[in-house]
Amino acid sequence: MTNYRSLFTILVTAGLAVGLSTQGSSAQEGAPSELRVFPSDVNLSSARDRQSIQVQAVYPSGLTRDVTSEAKLSLANAALAKMEKNTLYPVADGDSEITVEFGGLTSKLPVKVTNHASDGPLSFRLDVMPVFMKTSCNNGSCHGAKSGKDGFGLSLFGYDPDSDHFNLTREIPGRRINLALPEQSLLLEKGAGQVPHTGGKRFEPGGELYNTTLRWLKEGAKNDEGEVPKVERVELYPKEAVMDGEGATQRLTVRAYYSDGTDRDITSQAYFMTSNDNSAEVTQEGIVTAGARGESFLMARFDTHTVGSRFIVLPKGLQFQWPEEIAGNNYIDNFVHEKLKKLRQIPSDVCTDEEFIRRVTLDITGTLPTVEEYEIFMADSSHDKRERKIDELLERKEFVEVWVMKWAELLKIRSDNQNSYKAMLLYYNWLKDRVASNTPVDQMVRELLGANGGTFTNPPTNFYQLERDTLKTSENVAQVFMGMRIQCAQCHNHPFDRWTMDDYYSFSAFFTQIGRKSSEDVRETIVYNSGGGEMKHPVGNRNMPPKFLGGDIPDVKGKDRREVMANWLASKENPYFARNLVNRVWSHFLGRGIIEEVDDIRVSNPPVNEPLLNELATKFTEYDYDFKKIVKDICMSRTYQLSTQANETNETDSTNFSHASLRRLRAEFLLDSISQVTDTDDKFRGLPSGARAVQISDGNTSTYFLTTFGRATRASVCSCEVKMDPNLSQALHLLNGDTVNSKIAQGNLIKRRLDEKKLPQDILEEIYIRTLSRRPTESERSALNEVLLKNDNNQQVLEDILWALMNSREFLFNH
Amino acid sequence: MTRMTQTICFVGLIALTVSSVLLEAADPRLTLIRPRGGQRGTEVELLLSGNRLEDAEQILFHSEGFEQIGIEAVNANSFKAKVKIAHEVRLGEHVMAVRTKSGISDYHTFWVGPYPSAAEKEPNSTFEQPQEVELTNQTMEGRIDNEDVDYFRVNAKKGQRISVEVEGLRLGNTLFDPYCAILDKDRFELAACDDTPLLYQDCMASVVAPEDGVYIIEIRDSSYRGNGASYYRAHLGTFPRPTAVYPAGGQLGQEVDVTYLGMPAAELKAKVKLPATQSEDFGVLAEDAGGLSASPNTFRLFPHGNVLEVEPNEDRTKATPATMPNAFNGIIQADGDVDFFKFTAKKNETWEIHCHARSLRSPLDPVMNLYDANGKGLTGNDDANRSPDSYFRYKFPADGEYSIRVTDHLKRGGADFVYRIEFTPVTPSIDLGIPRVTRYGQERQTIYVPRGNRIATRMTIRRQNFGGDVILSGEGLPQGMTMQALQVPANMSTWPVLFEAAADAPIGGKLLDFTCKPADEKQTVTGHFKNFADMVRYQNAQILWGRPVDQLAIAVIEESPYSLEIVQPKVPIVQNGSMALKIIAHRKEGFTKKIRVEFPFRSPGIGTRSYIDIPEGKSEVIYSLNANSNAAVGKWPVFALGLADGGKGTVMVSSQMATLEVAPPFVQLALERAATEQGKPADIICKVTTSTPYEGDATVKLVGLPHKAEAVEMKLNKETAELIFKVNTAVESPVGKHKNIYCQLVVTQNGEPIAHRLGSTQLQIDKPLPPPKEKPKAQPVAKKVEPKPAAPKVLTPLEKLRLEAEKRKEASQK
Repeated sequence: MTNYRSLFTILVTAGLAVGLSTQGSSAQEGAPSELRVFPSDVNLSSARDRQSIQVQAVYPSGLTRDVTSEAKLSLANAALAKMEKNTLYPVADGDSEITVEFGGLTSKLPVKVTNHASDGPLSFRLDVMPVFMKTSCNNGSCHGAKSGKDGFGLSLFGYDPDSDHFNLTREIPGRRINLALPEQSLLLEKGAGQVPHTGGKRFEPGGELYNTTLRWLKEGAKNDEGEVPKVERVELYPKEAVMDGEGATQRLTVRAYYSDGTDRDITSQAYFMTSNDNSAEVTQEGIVTAGARGESFLMARFDTHTVGSRFIVLPKGLQFQWPEEIAGNNYIDNFVHEKLKKLRQIPSDVCTDEEFIRRVTLDITGTLPTVEEYEIFMADSSHDKRERKIDELLERKEFVEVWVMKWAELLKIRSDNQNSYKAMLLYYNWLKDRVASNTPVDQMVRELLGANGGTFTNPPTNFYQLERDTLKTSENVAQVFMGMRIQCAQCHNHPFDRWTMDDYYSFSAFFTQIGRKSSEDVRETIVYNSGGGEMKHPVGNRNMPPKFLGGDIPDVKGKDRREVMANWLASKENPYFARNLVNRVWSHFLGRGIIEEVDDIRVSNPPVNEPLLNELATKFTEYDYDFKKIVKDICMSRTYQLSTQANETNETDSTNFSHASLRRLRAEFLLDSISQVTDTDDKFRGLPSGARAVQISDGNTSTYFLTTFGRATRASVCSCEVKMDPNLSQALHLLNGDTVNSKIAQGNLIKRRLDEKKLPQDILEEIYIRTLSRRPTESERSALNEVLLKNDNNQQVLEDILWALMNSREFLFNH
Repeated sequence: MTRMTQTICFVGLIALTVSSVLLEAADPRLTLIRPRGGQRGTEVELLLSGNRLEDAEQILFHSEGFEQIGIEAVNANSFKAKVKIAHEVRLGEHVMAVRTKSGISDYHTFWVGPYPSAAEKEPNSTFEQPQEVELTNQTMEGRIDNEDVDYFRVNAKKGQRISVEVEGLRLGNTLFDPYCAILDKDRFELAACDDTPLLYQDCMASVVAPEDGVYIIEIRDSSYRGNGASYYRAHLGTFPRPTAVYPAGGQLGQEVDVTYLGMPAAELKAKVKLPATQSEDFGVLAEDAGGLSASPNTFRLFPHGNVLEVEPNEDRTKATPATMPNAFNGIIQADGDVDFFKFTAKKNETWEIHCHARSLRSPLDPVMNLYDANGKGLTGNDDANRSPDSYFRYKFPADGEYSIRVTDHLKRGGADFVYRIEFTPVTPSIDLGIPRVTRYGQERQTIYVPRGNRIATRMTIRRQNFGGDVILSGEGLPQGMTMQALQVPANMSTWPVLFEAAADAPIGGKLLDFTCKPADEKQTVTGHFKNFADMVRYQNAQILWGRPVDQLAIAVIEESPYSLEIVQPKVPIVQNGSMALKIIAHRKEGFTKKIRVEFPFRSPGIGTRSYIDIPEGKSEVIYSLNANSNAAVGKWPVFALGLADGGKGTVMVSSQMATLEVAPPFVQLALERAATEQGKPADIICKVTTSTPYEGDATVKLVGLPHKAEAVEMKLNKETAELIFKVNTAVESPVGKHKNIYCQLVVTQNGEPIAHRLGSTQLQIDKPLPPPKEKPKAQPVAKKVEPKPAAPKVLTPLEKLRLEAEKRKEASQK
């Protein structure tokens, strides 16, 4: 009976191609509209101090250009400082002002010189440790490890300066460093490539890094004594750039601010990285060169800080006109359009009603629109029908079930030998109750993280029963509720984020006082606040006081630490909470987070549209963390309702939401859709027959279909648990497996329709609407009618068409 | 060690003709009793099913008040019995077992309630299609299948009480964890319950009808996971269902005023007359116009009176004054509530202090702390003895005032958070039991002896606050049965006991209060048999429901087709020695099956295989015993247990109680270390010390020599002081230090061998030295050697090693 199947598959999948075309471009130049000078002031506070100055011109088209070398810089009191190229060196103490002139625009910045004669000894932490970072000596591929690597023990990314100092000065005395003849120290000889070194030449003899190290050796290779100023923040200039065509360059300047109030130009000590070297390459001198059209995030790392600026690279002389008729539906579109304008991209057209009803029904409820829903929606000609549809879908219980499932994945609701099915069911029911009653998420999270009591009597305590390891618990909390993976900082300061080991262990300290005892029922555990237990830092074994991630050290004396933490976590004071949640919601509806992966929020993985994310987070907070309202905002936006068809300006875009993306249906949605289309029931353990895969409470319950299509095992909190990649098993299972075929037989839909004396053409139309939420196209209709006419067995032909439709990409994707 | 054989004989009065037909004993199994319960004061017909129950003769009721009035086999695996339940029977769970002609089954339970029973009728699985029932006190007998929900509809008048109480998991059939709810006609939940401290995993709900109309009672498994064995008994009606009684205990023989708490309307007060003697499972029943409560509230009987808390008492200065040893009673009324009592105690008094709460089925998980007069904390406890309740033993350091504090572990509180602190003096106790042979089952927890045969078992003796020898009583055994047990030494907590049935003992059995007493007559404590009927397990490992039992089921059963005998050894087994114990099976004609033999009781330091088989058709087997170097010296009672397939189940008998004597080794051997080169001989010198003189020659041989190394067996006698083993090696003998060489010495006494494993040494085999290269240097050495006397001095191994080492050193320097 499958003779026609391959033919049909080709037929029904032709509609999904995305067109390609070329684009025109031409030059664009003129007088700058704005002059940006970085930094905003100059503070020189020692004889060694200096400050480079950056000048960036902004043109009316939005393009920027590095004009530092062309701009005229003049110091009012030339006696105070010496200017070499764009860098100021101290000469005498005093205050003055620099005037910057370019293209008819001027800008002024204050200059202050103090202690110009003071040139004290170098500090190991402040001056020498940055050399190891800049030259990559202490990174994982060289010598950085818990106890060093390749014969030289440096702590990874310098998390333990005392041990580094010890290993430098005491491990191989007289050889690694030679204080009598500092130049003959192996440290310098290897670093400068004067003797064989696996890592090759890391710095120039006589260069700044070499000289710093040499001077420190000459001064006795001393460790720091007493309190050393800490780097409080680092700034990277310019904050953004829009570069005009391949080959354009932009210099970067990095400045560190210390806890003693001083600042330093650390451009030569910072380590530079780019997120996309295809569009923007960066040298270790801090020079960015534009490449292909695109976006890149340029980063500088110094001490434990990573900072970044977003660079956009456009084709040289691109002509661009924003069509006036494109207007946003709400604030979301305004932010998206703002970004697209910078990228010179025009968003696609709005999708058709047929596309909309299928997309929004699948996204909000995880089901396909019924034939009846389709007909009503298509017949409705009022202008607000999409809004009313969204409102209607948001009130459906299926909406709740989708989000309960997503939370259940994050909370790892899954029975095993330690966690009984009953406990998991109660936990799931608690979650379902909270989501169904639209409990504000902050309240739900506080209830969850501050939970005490039995795992049966107070089910959210299962959060602490499913993960009993203190460190893992804190990692899970950070990942689920703040979208951060802080695991790296367990062993070393996070190389691509701001989190240090101190941050990690201080955050974990909130979870050290979880008491667990058995209940009368062997399946139940009682979780309580034991009131005792501290977190030790592995370096120095000191007790770490509980400290919010990126926040304060709260008073926890006599309190349940978890309650204190939960109150902060789910509050407006925590900048990550609302952002993380809205990003997850956004990702569900747009197929990609504003930060992607949604649980990998870090400095080096910035949002593609920071203002949009901030605004969504603000709105979510204003809405009292009401999911429905934020979902409505998203679904109402023009951005959500865009067509998947790209235009010539946005065809390369996959990150800035200029057109809708094709999204594979997740396993549960797909199975439920197949059952819905074929009018069949599934039976899952613990659920009545006919229940949907979305409703499965226990992660341990699965089927071959769900497993093959990448259902989350709920073994970890990672968003990567849900596998969306296609594989051969999936294709073969759909074609030959027992799901589609046997469901067609089991549902017996075609025969029932034929028995109802429906015309084959009408049945054809119905199965198109059932599967694809659209009527067949004329060419499809005529081709298939021809087959129907040629064959006596209409049931078989129609079943084959149904089979083919369910194997089509149009069915397997939300588009 | 002194021991006294104690044999109590009951001569069989009725001599029955022994059937010449080979009757096969079996091990009956009881898995289900249906219905799961009945009303007190009525007659019920029970269907008891399991395995091998066709020859059932008697139900052994572990409680008073049940009378078996008829029995009728249904098929090989089940039978029917008519049982009369007296009106005085305690409400609740009762343990029973079945005695057949061929054995005693495992335990099962039967529930007694106050109301008449009715059957659940399907279809009642939807809210829209419930089973109609009258709102009168009755007990629905039902079953929940997978994902099944049972609905019952009642009509109630406004103000009328609707109560439901479910026995589900406690029925002990399967892991069925019931949930119940009372819903109004619009599906609004008026009360719902999954687990409650009052009823463990079972549930109850009670509401007052807010208006005239229909109400729906829903019963299901809490996770929709019922199965074919998920039976329940749901008491429905208007009965009062208090969740607690306060105070929850009183003085024996006194009348006490109590208040029933936790009911939907007003609390209920009553006077209760307490029995004069202590009894387990005592409870009080609430009664009002709605009827009698479906099950009692636990109530403690105590030799002393009550002190009731007086609020406010939330800090030490406001503590309720109390006197020991009266029990202190209170309620943790609200979240965060703390109760203090103050009392005086005398120096050096030691008390066991229990805070009873969960044992009273109160929701409270108490934490109890003791303070001195200055508020200094002395001791405290949250959970003890695997219970949420608190307990500590405390010796008061000085005369004075003390205070005791009670609060909830999670700082919760409520109107029914009742507790009771009892002070009891430290008293000795002994429990008897039979150790489990399977980790998760009741196998061999009863005694049934084939006529004319024997069964022995190990018994555990758990002494608390007491030490010393114990004598097992064995009084009240069934007719024709005798018991044989030596006095249990003070240092032993497991001990073998043998039961023997005369060939003419009548088939029959009983439940026996099996007791013991200390050998020291000054001690007045009596020990009793204690066991645990474990019914429902979680993941096959942890017990979710079970019940203690305190009587030993014991019976005489039909003959078995074989008996066992240990051939009494005439020699001891020595420390570090071994013995081949011969066991003989006396088979009846025609019985040829394989017999598995176990050796369950091993005195300290004796080890052996867990079982050995007498193959089909054979009648002897050798059970090898080993004694380690610390095996306890003395004469020990031992027995062998046989298990064979009797055709319908396992038939078990044991041998007579034999004596195993453990003695120190007769001889000590000290072996010197030796070294040689491949292919050269070595002497192993052995010093002999005879500690127990013996007659004749003993033989000794070296065991554990390396490949191709040999030494001949040698003889010695009690006079021998030294032996030299000549060990010959071959060039193929492996180089290295060969440890694990020892002597096997056999002394023969009374014609039986006594095998010793003695000594331990090391033989070093080296490669031959390379021939010396430079001869000139060798000559002066030869000259020096010449003047040495050529006495055949045997070098000690150490000297040899030193010499060889020097030679090697020289050779290597060259």
